[in-house]
Amino acid sequence: MNFAFTDEQLALAATVRDVLRAHCPPAALRSERRPGWEQLAALGFFGLLLPPESDGLGLGLADVVPALEETGRACLPGPVVETAVAAPYLVAGAPKLASGTVCVSVLLPGQVYAPDADLANVIVVAGADGLRLVARESARLTPRPGADPCRPLFEVAFEESERLGGSAGPALRRATVATAAQLIGVARELLAVSVAYAKVRTQFGAAIGSFQAVKHQLADVAVAVEFAAPLVYRAALAVDGDAATVERDVSAAKAAAGEAATLAARVALQVHGAIGYTEELDLRFWIARAWSLSAAYGTTAAHRERVRAAVLGGDVRRYP
Amino acid sequence: MDLDFSPAEREFRAEVRDWLSTHAPGPLPSMDTPEGFAAHRAWEARLAGARLSVVSWPEEYGGRGASLIDWLIFEEEYWAAGAPARVTQNGIFLLAPCLMRFGTPEQRERWLPRMARGDDVWAQAWSEPEAGSDLAALISRAEPAPGGWRLYGHKTWSSRAAYASHGFGLFRTSGTRHKGLTYFMFPMDDVAVRPIAQLDGLPGFAELHFDGVFVDDSTVLGEVGEGWRIAMATTSSERGLTLRSPGRFLATADRLVTLARRSSAAGAPALADRAARCWTEAEAYRLHTFGTARKIMAGEEVGAAASMGKVFWSELDLRMHTLAMELLGERAGETPWLDGFLFSLAGPIYAGTNEIQRNIIAERVLGLPR
Ligand SMILES: Cc1cc2nc3c(=O)[nH]c(=O)nc-3n(C[C@H](O)[C@H](O)[C@H](O)COP(=O)(O)OP(=O)(O)OC[C@H]3O[C@@H](n4cnc5c(N)ncnc54)[C@H](O)[C@@H]3O)c2cc1C
Repeated sequence: MNFAFTDEQLALAATVRDVLRAHCPPAALRSERRPGWEQLAALGFFGLLLPPESDGLGLGLADVVPALEETGRACLPGPVVETAVAAPYLVAGAPKLASGTVCVSVLLPGQVYAPDADLANVIVVAGADGLRLVARESARLTPRPGADPCRPLFEVAFEESERLGGSAGPALRRATVATAAQLIGVARELLAVSVAYAKVRTQFGAAIGSFQAVKHQLADVAVAVEFAAPLVYRAALAVDGDAATVERDVSAAKAAAGEAATLAARVALQVHGAIGYTEELDLRFWIARAWSLSAAYGTTAAHRERVRAAVLGGDVRRYP
Repeated sequence: MDLDFSPAEREFRAEVRDWLSTHAPGPLPSMDTPEGFAAHRAWEARLAGARLSVVSWPEEYGGRGASLIDWLIFEEEYWAAGAPARVTQNGIFLLAPCLMRFGTPEQRERWLPRMARGDDVWAQAWSEPEAGSDLAALISRAEPAPGGWRLYGHKTWSSRAAYASHGFGLFRTSGTRHKGLTYFMFPMDDVAVRPIAQLDGLPGFAELHFDGVFVDDSTVLGEVGEGWRIAMATTSSERGLTLRSPGRFLATADRLVTLARRSSAAGAPALADRAARCWTEAEAYRLHTFGTARKIMAGEEVGAAASMGKVFWSELDLRMHTLAMELLGERAGETPWLDGFLFSLAGPIYAGTNEIQRNIIAERVLGLPR
């Protein structure tokens, strides 16, 4: 057993982090729909989980969890999880998927609207009769109001579609864990930004970060993130290993990550005071992302409910 | 990254589980009574006989030189088997790590095997009436005497001290605040002990009065004046994994889920949700600890990050026992949950209060100004 990321897994994350620092700065969130996307594609990011026969690297979810955290840390817009994590298990054979020139949105069980569907070339929709592939041209998209300006939501209607084999399960599980990983990244960034602000903002002649009421809120965020992250890592391993406990583990991860991120958002706002409550400050992008991702692929409440049903139903198996 | 135990680790788990399934005693009387104290010591001697009392120690002191991962496995099995809390825990988990690191070979040989067998039971004598959270304010002192030292002063809240044979603690030999403190290990023979009843009515801790107690030079751990540094090396093990292994919280969480399922109140979704949440949090603590163990095994220091674990496990323990009290209602007193609940209330206080831990997290982990 070695419950620590390998050097390769961490190196991949560091590369993604550097690329996003350079190509997805906060200013880009205001002006572009998909900043950093091309540069990520050049790295092979969209082929990480694809099998080699589809020009991918055939990595497991656990290999890319730290890199996915970085996409959350950068608040990267666009259907990243859908294209890089879900699509390989829905439309692996789609030409150009590995190169990142095809952009995918999904509407899987547990989702209400398709995120970033306006950017997608294809949308995979789960219906009563299985999975359907809808080309962008055949889809009628109705924008739905949401909390996150960088993750627009759409209702999807269509007449023409292509039937897909397979089931939504494998893609949905991975998208859920990937979203949980992004939430951890969002939470870490919210904490870092709040700590930095608490060191420089002074009131009563002292940095606000020297006041215990501020310190203790930030310490609680640190604890929440610190103990949510291992549940996400474990869920990724459970998915990769097809563990018998996988559904329970995925839900536990998503609920804990969602709660940690929304706590981080709440505290970030409080620590920043009124400036945090403005459109002007970039902070609002991360706050909104914490809300939008905690509602994505099943709300925190829905996942809590699933964990409760499993655990109280007698599934108290530990993994391993 | 993986979570798969090696064949050797699985074998070790099987051995421990097997041995405990035939040897673990049923509930013993509280260790804070004379009969209970004796029964616990006898149990620990039996554990030592199977070389299971201190598995991670070197073989020469009664251990097996097992890895931290093996130790975590041992703890999971120990608590899952319902085996009793360790009467020797302060010695094994707080003094021993310091003794191994800072003690002389003679000191280690003299004290460690006896500790492993439960022959000696050690109490921690740090706190004083005017030095609680602010431990560096302590005023108990040691004065040089021919061949050793004389100890003067007043310590308090010392767990197990009502019956313990030995104590370890800090005494001022010079200077102020953190400077000039010396770490002593002393027999309790000449110390005046006044037991103090805890919330459960039993003498779970005691206050100690030193009126010129003589101790020889061999009782000084490390260098004279270096006590603070040595003591601080223990605090991260007290807060973190060694004193509070995930094993005990996993076992509590399992029992809590069983209780929630059986209880008529299990029909109440709010309570069921809290039970499931506690169970998941115990898992999170377990996984986090595997990560920490790996870091330590790779030579990294845990340091102030142990404070995050302290806040997490103490609040989890409190949540679990509070929920059990709600599930049981008036019947709680007929079960071991009441004692567990009372003890869980102390978790946010001992080993450094959670307010102090949050200060440490904010200042030393997050880097906020003092
Ligand atoms: C069950 C139990 C077992 C114990 N066993 C031992 C033992 O074996 N050996 C031993 O030496 N000691 C032991 N202790 C003592 C324990 O270490 C102290 O209780 C602890 O350090 C707190 O000190 P205090 O009780 O004097 O509280 P105080 O320091 O007086 O604190 C009282 C309250 O004020 C808060 N507070 C104090 N300073 C600050 C600050 N700077 N910022 C914010 N809040 C603050 C505290 O968090 C607490 O809520 C034990 C305690 C308990 C409850």
